[in-house]
This record gives sequence, C-alpha cells and structure tokens, in this order.
Amino acid sequence: MSTVIEIKGDHQGFKEDVETTDMALFVRTSDEAMYGWDRQKIVDALIRETYVDVDTAKEIAREVEDLIATSKIKMITAPLIRELVDTKLIERGLEQARKMHTRLGMPLYDVDQLILHPNKENANVPHGPEATNLTLAERIKKEYALLSVFSQDVADAHMRGDIHLHDLGFIDRPYCSGQSLEYIKRFGLSLPNSIAMAKPAKHPEVLLAHMVKFAAALQSHFAGAIGWDSINLFFAPYLEGMSDQELEQLAQMMIFEFSQQAVARGGQAIFTDLNLYWEIPKHFENVPAIGPGGEFTGKTYSDYLKESQRFAIALFNVYQEGDGSGRPFFFPKPLVHITEKFFQTPGHMDFLYLICEVASDKGNTYFVFDRGETAKISECCRLSFKLDQTDFEDAKQPWRMRYCALQNVTLNLPRIAYLAKGEDAQLFSKIGEFVEMAVKAHLEKKFFIERLLSLGERGPLALLAMDRDGTPYLRMHRASFLVGMVGLNELVQIHTGQEMHQSKQAFKLGLKVIAHMKLMLDKFSQRYGMRFVLEQTPAESTAYRFAKLDLKFHSPQSGHIVKGDISKGEVYYTNSTYLNNSAVLNPIERVRQEGLFHPLIEGGALTHIWLGEAKPAKSSLANFVRKTFQWTQNDQIAFSPEFTTCNCCNRTSRSLRSSCAYCGSNDVDGITRITGYFTKVSSWNKGKLGELRNRYRNQAFLTEKEGEMELVVNTK
Amino acid sequence: MIEIKGFLETSLSDWPGKICSVLFLPHCNFRCPYCHNHPLVFNPEQYSTIPLEKIFDRLHSFTNWIDGICLTGGEPTLHADLPLLIRKIKEHRFLVKLDTNGSNPRMLENLIEKGEIDFVSMDVKAPLDPFRYSCSIGVPIDLKPILDSIALLKREKVEYEFRMTVVPGLHQEGDIKNLGNQLRVGRRLILQNFNPENPLDPSLKQVIPYDPQVLKQIEKEVQEMTPSPLSLKDESAILTLTH
Amino acid sequence: MGLIKIFTKAHCPKCPAVKEMGMVLKKEGVPVLNYDLDTVEGLGEASFYSILATPSIVIEDEEEREVVSWRGVVPSLQEVRRYLLRGIS
Ligand code: SF4
Ligand SMILES: [Zn+2]
Repeated sequence: MSTVIEIKGDHQGFKEDVETTDMALFVRTSDEAMYGWDRQKIVDALIRETYVDVDTAKEIAREVEDLIATSKIKMITAPLIRELVDTKLIERGLEQARKMHTRLGMPLYDVDQLILHPNKENANVPHGPEATNLTLAERIKKEYALLSVFSQDVADAHMRGDIHLHDLGFIDRPYCSGQSLEYIKRFGLSLPNSIAMAKPAKHPEVLLAHMVKFAAALQSHFAGAIGWDSINLFFAPYLEGMSDQELEQLAQMMIFEFSQQAVARGGQAIFTDLNLYWEIPKHFENVPAIGPGGEFTGKTYSDYLKESQRFAIALFNVYQEGDGSGRPFFFPKPLVHITEKFFQTPGHMDFLYLICEVASDKGNTYFVFDRGETAKISECCRLSFKLDQTDFEDAKQPWRMRYCALQNVTLNLPRIAYLAKGEDAQLFSKIGEFVEMAVKAHLEKKFFIERLLSLGERGPLALLAMDRDGTPYLRMHRASFLVGMVGLNELVQIHTGQEMHQSKQAFKLGLKVIAHMKLMLDKFSQRYGMRFVLEQTPAESTAYRFAKLDLKFHSPQSGHIVKGDISKGEVYYTNSTYLNNSAVLNPIERVRQEGLFHPLIEGGALTHIWLGEAKPAKSSLANFVRKTFQWTQNDQIAFSPEFTTCNCCNRTSRSLRSSCAYCGSNDVDGITRITGYFTKVSSWNKGKLGELRNRYRNQAFLTEKEGEMELVVNTK
Repeated sequence: MIEIKGFLETSLSDWPGKICSVLFLPHCNFRCPYCHNHPLVFNPEQYSTIPLEKIFDRLHSFTNWIDGICLTGGEPTLHADLPLLIRKIKEHRFLVKLDTNGSNPRMLENLIEKGEIDFVSMDVKAPLDPFRYSCSIGVPIDLKPILDSIALLKREKVEYEFRMTVVPGLHQEGDIKNLGNQLRVGRRLILQNFNPENPLDPSLKQVIPYDPQVLKQIEKEVQEMTPSPLSLKDESAILTLTH
Repeated sequence: MGLIKIFTKAHCPKCPAVKEMGMVLKKEGVPVLNYDLDTVEGLGEASFYSILATPSIVIEDEEEREVVSWRGVVPSLQEVRRYLLRGIS
C-alpha cells in the first residue's frame, strides 16, 4: 500500500518553494492510476516515513529527478522511484532511514511462479486463487515482521537459519490455541463485528453449527491449530435421548464439517483437534454441567458418562468408515486421552479395540498419555498444555479454560554443532545463545501482539479481546511461548561422530542438550514471568530449510550430515528429538527411547510408528498402547499407515504404490502422515520426500551374509 | 540344533492380541507358487545363522514388552529338534506360536499334548481334495497328514487359526467357500490377500490381488458358516481323516 | 561390583537422607555417583532413567544394566546393600 500513500499524500507542509521541472513523465502507481511527475511527493514521503530533515529530503528529491531526467524514460513506476530514493539514502549513510523507507513487495517473476505453481511449504494448502492470495499476503507480512516487528539481530538469526520464526506470514496473530466448548454453550455465538448474534444453542446440531462458525472465526485469528477439549463430554448434555443412529449422524456432521476444505482460509483446512475421553476426566467430575440454552442442567458431568461414551464411539465409527471413497479423514484429528482412570472405567477394552482398529486401518487415532495426576489439552500437531493448579481451579468453570501459544521458534541444532567444532563448552554456550535469541524473539512478538490487543474490540484482534466473563478471550497470562528444535540427532552426530541410536553416550549427549535447553527456559520463565516451554517442532519445512542453509554455509562438513538425497535436492535434518528415520529400530525401542525426551518437552511430544503396509491386529495394537502407557514416559503416539488413492477409479488401497491396485491406472496419489496430519504425498516439499524414502517401516528385517542383503517379508 | 535364519524383533501382526518376535526357520517340503520366503526355502545357506543366545540377549532388553515368539519358516516342523528349541524358548518364559503347513501332525500332536505351544496357525492352501491341494502347493501330496492336523486342532486343546492365502487364478470364490464349508471353524478361518511382490513363481507377479473389500466380504461369509452341526458330507470327510 | 547413582534436588525435603546414605556407602568403597536434577548433567542422566521424582536411586551392574531402582522413595540402607551385593557377580 505504501506507493499509494506516496503519491496521494497530502501536500501541506513543505510546499513553499518547489520549482517543478516540467518533465513529460508519467508515474504508474499501485492504485491503478497514472500521475504526472511531482518531485514534492518524494519529499513528502521521506518526511512522513523517516526522520530525515527537510533539506536532505529536498536534495534527494532533486538528485532523483536529475537521474530520471537524464535517462529520458517516459514512464516510471512508483516502486522504482522509491528504490532510487533508497540508493540516495544509502549514499548518505542513512541506513536506518532507508529501512524505514523500504517498500515491501514481490518481483513479477515470483508472483508469476506463485500463481502458476503449487505451494509446497505447507502441505495443507491446496493450490488455487484463494491459496495464492494467502501466500501473497503472507509474503508481505513476513517481510514486515522481519523489518519492523523483530529487532535486527533476531531477524538476521532467522535469515541465517540459526533459528526459525514460524508463521511469520501470520505475524499479527498468536500461534495456536486450545478451546473450551463451554464458552459458546454458555455465551452463545456473539462475535465482535458480526451482525447476527446467536443465543446459546438449544439443540446439538445448532451447537455444532456454532462450534464450526466459531472455529472458522478463530482460524482467522490464529496461525495454527484449534484444539477442543473433552468434546464428547461437553456435547453430552445435549445428547440425552438420542438414538444411536441420530448420534452417528451428528458425529458424521461434525467430522465432515471440519474436514471440508471449503470453509477455510485460503482453502486451507482448519487444523482441528478433538480431545476425547472415555472416562469423565477427574477435574470435571463434580463440575455443574451446562446443557441446552446455556442453562445449568442441575447435574454434574459425572452424570453424563453414558452419552459422552456413546458419542465417542459414534465419532470413531465415522472415522472407521472414512470419506466417500474410503480414504481416511485428514481432519479433524481425534486425540484420545489414556489415563489411569481410562483403565478403571468399564467398557474401556472395547473402546480401546475400536480406536486401535481405526489406528490400524486408517491411522487417525492419536493416543495421548496422561500419567499420574497430569491432565493435558492437546491441540497443534503435538502441542499440549499440561494443566496446573490454577487450571484445576478454572476447571470448575470450564469456559475459562482457553489457552494459546503465542509463537513458535525453532533452533537449528546442527548449526550449533558445526560452530562448536567438537568442543563441549562451546557447544553448550552456543545452545545458550540460540535459546536466548529465541526468547528475545518471543518478547518482541508478545510486545507486538499486546499492542494489537490493546486496541480492544475495535482493533484487528477484536475476537481475542472480547470480554464475556471478566477476562479477555485470549488470556495472555496463560499463554505459552514455544521453543522447538530440529536435528538433535545431527547435532549429536556432528559432535560425537555417532548418531543417537548408535551408542549410549551419543544418546545421553542428546538428553543433555535438551536438558540444558529446558533448564535455561525455566530460568527465563522465572525471570520474565512467562511460560517458555520446549516443544517438538512440527518441522514441516523447517528441517528442509535448515539443511539447505547449512549445505550453503557449512560445506563440506554438512554434506556428510544432512539426510536425504543431495543430488535430488531432497535434504532434511531429522525432526526435533527423533532418532534417525531410516535406522532399523523396532517400535518398542522407538517408543521407549524417544519417550525419554518427552518429560523434558513440556509443550508436547509425539512418537510416530510407521506401519506402511502392515495392518496389525487391533488387539495387538491395544496391547502395545497399554504397555506404552505402563512402561514408558512417552507423551503421545500415533500409528501411520500409508495409502494410495486412485484419481481414476476413486478407490483407495493400502501402502504407497506407483499404480492403482484395482484398475492399474498411474494417476494415483500417495497418502501418508506428514508431521502431524495426513496429506497427499504429491504436495510435499523436497525435504519431506527424502524423509519418506528413508522411513524405516517395521515390516521387514535384514539378514546378511558377506555383504549380501535381502529383504524377507513375513507373510506366512 | 536348528539354524535360525531370520529374526524380526517385534511384530504386531503375527499373533492377535500379542506383541511377538518372529523366528524364521529354513527349508520347506512344499513349493507354493506364491511363496514369498522362497529364498529361505531353497537357499537358506545364503543367509547367516543367528545364534539363539544373541536372540535371547536382545529380547532381554524388551522385558515387559514381548509376550511370545512366533516360529515360522519355511516349515518349522521339518526339524526334528523343533521341540528342543521350543523348550529353550519356554525356559525364557515366552509364549510360543507355531506357524505350520500341517504336514507333520505327529510332531504337532506331541507339542500340543505336552502343552509346549500356545497358539497354532496352520496354512490351508486349497479346498481339501488332493488334486486342488497339489496344484496350490506345487508338489504332489497325500492329504492324510493335512486332514489329521486339521482334526487335531479342532479338538481345541490349543488356541489355533487357519489361514488361507488367496491368489486370483489359483483360487476362485467358490473354492474359498468350499474350504470354509469343509473346515467350519467360524472366525478361526482367516483369509489373507496375495502379495505379488517377489513370489516363487515369477509369472504370478502380473497377478492383481483381490479387492480387499471383496475379500473381506467373502471372509465374513465363510466365518459365518457355523461350526456345527456338521453336514453329512463333512462329517464323513472328517471321519475318514481321523481314522 | 555394582554402581549406585543418586538423584537429588537442592530444595527437596527428603533428599538429605539419601545423600547421607550415599556418603556412607562411598566410605565403604561403593562407587557412588551423585546427580543434581537442577544441573544439565543431572537432568540429562535422570532423563535417561526416566526419573521424574527426587530422591531416586538406581543400582546398575558392571555392564551398566539397571538392577533395581527406587523412584521418589527412600529405601533403607540394608535394602540398598542387599541389591548392591547382588550386583557383584
Ligand atoms: S508352505 Fe508354501 S508358502 Fe509356506 S514356506 Fe513352504 S513353500 Fe512357502
Ligand atoms: Zn484405480
């Protein structure tokens, strides 16, 4: 927009002695108009946007005019004028002024590419006009963020790839959030700036409609996921007296609504997580239930166990069916909390079998383990909030339970190891520096968001500032600030020569690094009274970006370290604290070893178990889930099968194939889980493709003799 | 001692309800054209033998996790010292599952009688008539031992299942139902889809497997064939095989 | 001979008793390693054993295999001795 202002700017102030050169020159501006040449506009812009004095501004304007005059061009664009002015500022050493005067925008070539080619950065975004709108806006906001929200050293650290500031294109929103359905049950749907306002729902379908609307509204205020706590329980008071069939229909509506891409921003599905419980979570046992019309029903949530369970079953029956062509639903993700109480609640085995069957067939189920007294709300790809004492207080009025993470910053751990050159002391002090940089970035983002929020219900974040219960919707004092990591495995590899799965020492170094990061964040949390927590980054494109940048800055060493295929450009670092994807590790080891990190990563962690073609018995999976709960500290697991879906006959078969198993057509898409959610393989970025090729699936084993290797598959 | 040629540490798909390890034993007396493990059947020498101690060592680190060990092959019952191996496994307190093609009812009976095995999974290859069976296993066969093994398992002294790998071309839908009718074991008959990757008979690589949904439907049908009462024809069949 | 690892925190009320015990054993020649969960070294090591509570004790045999552990509880000295002896083989 800056060029518009530049040309249209009002001319009061410095008009006095301007003698305009009579140039036959036209200026093309971005507000679709052409103007005659007017040197004064340069002066105006400089005065308005920077701190230079009038005389310098005039001088610069004259110099630029001369330059243009001697070139004899007939038509010039406003951006070019701006650039010419910038060169004059640089000549004078007015670096700060130049920055302030900078124009944000994109080269023609880039826009052309963007409109014609799919976006691979986020596999959740389909390609289309709405999606390109989103990308264009993101590009500008990203530049804006780096220039004006963050300080130069933070921005530089991001550009260099020391750290990664996630969702810069969404700089003016918080990162992700956890919701309570109770809020809309109690207050209805009365959003700021919206014309219609709805009273609390009386019927389950209406409640669902409110939930969907609200989710859509929230999606435009958060960069990432929207999680819903105990959704089956909170729906329960509305479900009394409904038949199984009616329940199933409601479940179907819920899943279809949230899996539909159409409703969403830039054609991007709403990242929705449904947190589900088989039991009544302890902290809601004695809480008065809210029912139709937003009224208290006079009962507590414990009285709704049956409806809550029936709804959970209905939801999983729908997941089991899959969409119209039998594919798994990509969204919403069902997260089932496995707790001590789960195993004490009657019927849990049947339910466990059901969700394991869905896990084995479709892969949807996430198993979230809440051991001992912990309780969590999960939302983003793996983000969760551990509830503490204040939260349990809030739980008495569950509509208060609204959480958010303000931002996510990821550290490039391999970079640290290159810089440390094998010295322990260096390694740990560099980690400290990187963590500090991340903290600084968080402070800056917080400051910025607070500025937006301070404009209240008239400001850009009106929805988050709205106040229906004595506190603004977004509860800043409960916000988390996430610090993620990429490539712990490679850090260890660079520093010790061994990957984490290769020796106990190597593995222990990995733990020490994460312990160091955690202790530092604890200190910063105390110092600033904020909640800094580690999180496993959903490193979609970050692992690729870091690997690429390190190939540039730390060659030749990095050439031996990055995973994937350099010749194809499919490079990546191992995600977060994961062990090498291609290492032959059986699922028990993976769940156990990776799980050792999870208690340190309070923001949430997840272990993927790749199933590939194998389709385990539900009862064996249930066995595995129970043992994971019992014998490990693993936070969350998901099983990931793979599918091939045919664009010709529309049928879906198991495992990734190059042609359709039914009709032989080559027009097929692979479907598997990318970081946190299912998606089509064709939309993956290069780093992810490399990772897919390297993924070790627990279905074959190797026996070798004198260097010979052969795969033997157990099909007997 | 039996040479162990393959060791899969963890399997969630070989033993319903259990997490197990799988040991692969060499050699087989059948030559099923769709066999995937044929290198193990024909050229076991090309693989190194894994010492049993090493395996137990490894399994030690999975205490609390691995419920049992599945013995497969090849055909495990070809090895006279299989019972010895099983006893060793039992000493380490693992449950044992045996995969067999049913050609050695004697050993099977022995193991069951002594309570040495906890689960038997027997492959049934075709409807129970000598000609069809021979076609499916690639060698001529006397059905008697197969029928004996079936009868043995049906006495229910041990948990068991029958598995049939269904190959288009080799097995028609009618064949599956026929076999289901002959066995009448309800949900204990499991159908497995043929996998065209690397079969013994390379010409099978071209074969497109059954539509899983169709197969599921057939499986449902054969599983609904009630275990009793037996039809007259079946009864005579069973009678002839046990005596 | 077995090895004993002791995990403590500075502000934990039950920890001094265990530290004391470690001192006694050390005097007897038992290899004792102390870890403070508020340090990088200590928290890293504790994570390796999934230790989330203090005080905790882990006894390992000479191949660094865990023989026994007490998590968040204080065993008696006799009990610890008994397992330490078992670690000798
Ligand atoms: S019975 Fe058939 S399928 Fe099984 S190992 Fe022998 S040849 Fe292969
Ligand atoms: Zn097709």
